[in-house]
Amino acid sequence: MKPAVLRHGSRSRILAAVILGIAAIFVIRLFYLQIIQHNHYVELAQSEQMTRERIPAKRGEIYAMSGESPVKMVLNETVYTVFVDPSVISDYSKVADVMKQVAGGNVRDGFEDLMKKTETRYQVIANKVTRLQADKIKEAGLKGIGFMAVSQRVYPEQSLASQVLGFVDTEGEGKYGLEGFENDELKGVDGRLETVTDVSDVPLTIGDRNVREAAKNGKNIVMSLDRNIQSHTEQALAAGLTRTGATRGSVLVMNPLNGQVLAMANLPTYNPGKYFEVNDAAAFNNGTISEPYEPGSDVKTFTMATGIDKGVVRASDTFNNTDTIKIEDRTIGNATKGHTGVISFQTALTFSLNTGFVTVAQRLGDGRSINRTARDTMYEYFHDRFRLGQLTGIELANEAKGIIISPDDPDGNAVRYSNMSFGQGLDATMVQVSGGFSAMINGGNYFKPTIIAGEMVDGTFKKEVAAQPLQSGVVTQSTSDQMRQMMQTARASSFGRTDKQGYNIGGKTGTSQVIRNGQYSDTETIGTYLGYGGAETPEYVIMVSVSGDNRQLQGARDALPIFTDISNWMIDYLKIQPKG
Amino acid sequence: MSNQSTSYYVNRRQQNWSRNQNTTRYVSAIKLGPVAHTVLVALMIIVLGLIYVTQATRTTGYDYEMQKIDSQIADYDQQKSELEIENTRLTALETVKNSSVAKEMTASTDTQYVQQ
Repeated sequence: MKPAVLRHGSRSRILAAVILGIAAIFVIRLFYLQIIQHNHYVELAQSEQMTRERIPAKRGEIYAMSGESPVKMVLNETVYTVFVDPSVISDYSKVADVMKQVAGGNVRDGFEDLMKKTETRYQVIANKVTRLQADKIKEAGLKGIGFMAVSQRVYPEQSLASQVLGFVDTEGEGKYGLEGFENDELKGVDGRLETVTDVSDVPLTIGDRNVREAAKNGKNIVMSLDRNIQSHTEQALAAGLTRTGATRGSVLVMNPLNGQVLAMANLPTYNPGKYFEVNDAAAFNNGTISEPYEPGSDVKTFTMATGIDKGVVRASDTFNNTDTIKIEDRTIGNATKGHTGVISFQTALTFSLNTGFVTVAQRLGDGRSINRTARDTMYEYFHDRFRLGQLTGIELANEAKGIIISPDDPDGNAVRYSNMSFGQGLDATMVQVSGGFSAMINGGNYFKPTIIAGEMVDGTFKKEVAAQPLQSGVVTQSTSDQMRQMMQTARASSFGRTDKQGYNIGGKTGTSQVIRNGQYSDTETIGTYLGYGGAETPEYVIMVSVSGDNRQLQGARDALPIFTDISNWMIDYLKIQPKG
Repeated sequence: MSNQSTSYYVNRRQQNWSRNQNTTRYVSAIKLGPVAHTVLVALMIIVLGLIYVTQATRTTGYDYEMQKIDSQIADYDQQKSELEIENTRLTALETVKNSSVAKEMTASTDTQYVQQ
């Protein structure tokens, strides 16, 4: 007979069954939680224990040259945004006093009222507070006050070269200029930190899922732009605008032997550190690369170079100038009249006579008309060789392409090409014109215009490898020599007395009509000057443009003096010794 | 008095292999029961656990030290950065032009080159 405790229906058996049942429930529940719901709870645990942080990459700095040495133009600075929790502040007057004493210039208007909005938990009371100021505020031991670190760009040279540099917006994205074009390179790549942290958010090394990927800082770019040349160019341009009454102006200074930009000045300008105060966004644009226009008479040098290179014309060759020339149903006239009769092409260049260059265009064809052969030749030289109407690829944001109408286009007819021979009917930017002009005077080597000279790596300047011509044989050496001589003669005959003696300085004036509502305006012109300087070899190319709404500005009167100012200064700055 | 007992015996195998040698076995007088065994095992586990926790905590201590040093490095980096900015501001063209030294300077004359 079984013992009483084991007998069927006994209380002990029932108790055992209940305990067994409860145990079974625990086992099943634990099985559900630990096995079936394992991943879910692991995720929950990790979300509480793990901290995921972005390790911000340091944005690359931007340098300019100062002679042979790079100098910093754009740096990074950590500043602080001061915020308060109004519901926690116990002594409003003390907070207000400390803020006024320590960061009086950085507090927001009406910050004392903001602090008293106790229905809110977050109010920003000061911006761009420095670390020293933040430390002093912390020392005051105020309750309910907090700091948020923010990185901002610093521009010690203020508005110098602002359109070249661009700026960084509040999202940390580069806009305009080098900041915009090289944004990805400058920005770097943020690092990643995933780690178990303690209650104070101190990362702990326990756990096998910790990830620490270091940030890759942005590239420190060194521009070819020379700070001193840029500064003088901006001064000369500002003085020129004051003198002429122009309201807009741009100057580009380039090394014709490697395509490096030495200065790019634009007025009106702005301070990139205060870009948010700019009312007219046009101030952000770099006119030398973003605003294609009809270059006007500067282009006559390209037409002449094409004619010389094709062997159809020389400086001393002559033509009969009647001050007008008829192309199909249009009559083209000279702006400067009176040099009629049989005159040389040198005279045509010196006095900028349109008829002379329409004649060159005709001689590129059958000598009587600007036929398809002439147009094809001009297009080949203007577009394919001098690269007008093509993006240069300069490392700045918002470069515009411009346009050269192909002879294949119905608009690419003889009338257009006759206009193109003296600089109308085509759109090009100053950087395109300067790049093509450099190839014309340096022996025929086209160098890609560039603003970058190298990069700083661990405090050492690593220069870019020496530039190679993008295209050689743009024109022959002989054409290049003849063109330099023609431009020197043209300049010396009228304006040479203002130049330093003993140097080869040449150039061409340009006065371009402006198209308003599809028509050439009679009340507005752009004055330009395109020239070069040096001793035996050209050392610099300078292009100047001045304009203003309803202002008739002229190349010789308004743009040329700015060229002369910069050119004479450049000779001293570059220590160019005179010829012979 | 001690109730320790000592017994001498020589097993057959030893007898065969090492004759005339005595072998002694000591038998502890202390007898441990199952409870004592359990307590001892528990103590051993606790001691081992403490050793583990100590070691684990030591690495956490290093973490705090690392955090402190990282923080110091960040502070020095920031100070260096601020000094660089100040240096750049002081050597900026505009600052130099407006300096008292620059105001005392005279304009340069044309450069003359001597021919050899």
